[in-house]
Amino acid sequence: MKKKLFAVVFCFFFCGMAWAASNEAQSLSVPCAGCHGSEGASKGEIPVIGGLSKVYLEATMKNYKNEVRYSTVMTRIAQGYSDQQIAAIGEYFSNQPWIPGSQEINASMAKRGEKLHMEKGCAGCHGAVGISSIATVPRLAGQYARYLFYQMADYQDPDKPISAAARPMRGMLAGLSDDDLEALAHFYASQK
Amino acid sequence: MRRISRRDFVKAVGLTSVAGAIGLPMISRSAGSTAQIVVVGGGYGGATAAKYLKRYVPNSDVVLIEKNTDYYSCVFSNEVLSGESSMESIKFTYEGLAKRTINVVHALATEIDPNKKQVKTSMGKAFNYDYCVLSPGVSFNWGVIEGYDEAAAEKMPHAWKAGPQTVLLRKQLESMKDGGVVMIVAPPNPYRCPAGPYERAAQIAHYLKYHKPRGKVIIMDSKHTFTKQTLFMDGYKKHYGDMIEWRSPVDGGKVIGVDVDAGTLITDSDEYKPAVANVIPPQRAGELALKVDLADDSGWCPVDQRTFESKKYDDIFVIGDAADAGEMGKSGYGASSHAKICAAAIAARITGIEQPEPSYLNTCYSLITPEHAISVAMVYKLNDKGTIVGVEGAGGTSPRYAPEWVREREANYARGWFKNMTSDAFG
Ligand SMILES: Cc1cc2nc3c(=O)[nH]c(=O)nc-3n(C[C@H](O)[C@H](O)[C@H](O)COP(=O)(O)OP(=O)(O)OC[C@H]3O[C@@H](n4cnc5c(N)ncnc54)[C@H](O)[C@@H]3O)c2cc1C
Ligand code: HEC
Ligand code: HEC
Repeated sequence: MKKKLFAVVFCFFFCGMAWAASNEAQSLSVPCAGCHGSEGASKGEIPVIGGLSKVYLEATMKNYKNEVRYSTVMTRIAQGYSDQQIAAIGEYFSNQPWIPGSQEINASMAKRGEKLHMEKGCAGCHGAVGISSIATVPRLAGQYARYLFYQMADYQDPDKPISAAARPMRGMLAGLSDDDLEALAHFYASQK
Repeated sequence: MRRISRRDFVKAVGLTSVAGAIGLPMISRSAGSTAQIVVVGGGYGGATAAKYLKRYVPNSDVVLIEKNTDYYSCVFSNEVLSGESSMESIKFTYEGLAKRTINVVHALATEIDPNKKQVKTSMGKAFNYDYCVLSPGVSFNWGVIEGYDEAAAEKMPHAWKAGPQTVLLRKQLESMKDGGVVMIVAPPNPYRCPAGPYERAAQIAHYLKYHKPRGKVIIMDSKHTFTKQTLFMDGYKKHYGDMIEWRSPVDGGKVIGVDVDAGTLITDSDEYKPAVANVIPPQRAGELALKVDLADDSGWCPVDQRTFESKKYDDIFVIGDAADAGEMGKSGYGASSHAKICAAAIAARITGIEQPEPSYLNTCYSLITPEHAISVAMVYKLNDKGTIVGVEGAGGTSPRYAPEWVREREANYARGWFKNMTSDAFG
């Protein structure tokens, strides 16, 4: 006990907050950076995950793991972690700042997307600019457009698994063309 | 698990004054520093290790010794061969690490003295360390393919270390006449990037398809199977028809020698004269690791797979391609994963706070065309015997039967993966 106390005091003194008791979560989470960027602040194409809510991160990792949500690669990865580990990972990334993706935006498309966003009632859950106060609803503002496009296409597809939380979107997105989805994606991506 | 005791700590700090007193041209610890850490090799492993060490233990002195001023990434270098990427796009500098107050020294590390705990360099300067991390990549087993040595590689490039070799192979492809045959000699296991030779075949075929449509790529293999084999073979057929042929040892694919002057590749029964010969020789740990006796008979470095500390010498850690990391294949992603665990282990030693249970990840995307990628991913843990093993039920490859949009999505994500892997290491 005494030894541990010494170590903790020692660490605060010498290494600030960098190496501390939350190491377990850090150990599980830092390997994700190779795909998702340091601290989840992706530099391109793969979604930004740093700064998403803990509730959403946990639910999403479990959905991937249980194949309730379609993915190209995340199911294979999420299946490597216990629910407890997933909770720790969720905690870690939710404590990181949200750094919007760096990407080119088509302004006229974004404008059309904004209109659709309002008309279709997406703002009800996702807020006026794609930032929601509901913990189960992910931030869309500043996310990578192409990634968002893929997700909407998946929600539309009746052959793909869908989580209970996402189900209301299937009907709302029905009938929207690929162009519409792209416009929506550019709108969300353009917000910071 | 080792923990630093109060006494050891005093001992470690005491080193400062001793180091200063020896009188060699050495770099010694700065005031208030908790530890002196020397990282040798600034590739995926070393660059990531330096960055995470500084992050975990900000008050340590971290020196990174790297012989080249720029790093040319092997990852995505096959795309340079096809012309889809440029040398500029695979070039990375050490400015990002220098900004993080990592002392980047461009010199060849010539020796490590595990007793004096010192790394010597070509510039005459020696660096004392409390902990040394070595990530030297691979070296080649010259001569196992008879006649294939360093000089031969100037005519029959391996292009297995990105840089001038990549440029040379690209030039040979460019000057090849339509109808020519490119032979890729794939190495025996284990080697850097298991999927590399097969992605390369596709990338070269991609170039030929649009510029030399009567050309052909033949993979001469000393292995009977290879990673993501069905996915590669399906992809070859779909995009390149019979332009790519794979020959296993049973089909006479095993190359045992070369005649550089004649430009021929020699097997047990035949001799071939391809227009371009890309010979990827068998591999082992980087030269410095061999010289310091960190490797065993296998040619790779045995380490405690929880910390990556060498089994041969205390306080020297070996990561990346050079290390024997259990079931993990040798890749840039893997090297970066080793680096973070090794940094955590060293931080634990310095601070006395226990190292968390390590968790490892490895993933690799291969591009068959710019719009068709396949991936393999695995999560690893340490088993009871201290060996890195895949977590049961996790990981695997992209599905075999998948529509085009899946391959296209993966190609899109592969580009993001490259940006993130490199910025995590060098940014
Ligand atoms: C064609 C090809 C394609 C690949 N594609 C992928 C891919 O898609 N994904 C993937 O994850 N991996 C890929 N890889 C593998 C990846 O490049 C390696 O696994 C990775 O580079 C290993 O990192 P490392 O730190 O061990 O070695 P390296 O990255 O090679 O770094 C070693 C560094 O140490 C320096 N060095 C060595 N000795 C000394 C010394 N004595 N003094 C000073 N400096 C020294 C070298 O100059 C070099 O910069 C590919 C490899 C090849 C060849
Ligand atoms: C091989 C690259 C790769 C690795 C490694 C990886 N991811 Fe992912 N991640 C992706 C991709 C690609 C997607 C998009 C879904 C898909 O197609 O798989 C994604 C999606 C996600 C999402 C959904 C984001 C959103 O906005 O809904 C989360 C959360 C996530 N990953 C978390 C993680 C965590 C945590 C780790 C580490 C344990 C990790 N990922 C490792 C590539 C990766
Ligand atoms: C009832 C609330 C609700 C409404 C209304 C709603 N969404 Fe969502 N949205 C969610 C939830 C919850 C998720 C996370 C779903 C999951 O787990 O897969 C989500 C996810 C998304 C994502 C993927 C984000 C990511 O990071 O993976 C996109 C894109 C999206 N919504 C777009 C829309 C659009 C466009 C509309 C309007 C047509 C809409 N949503 C309406 C609740 C809603």
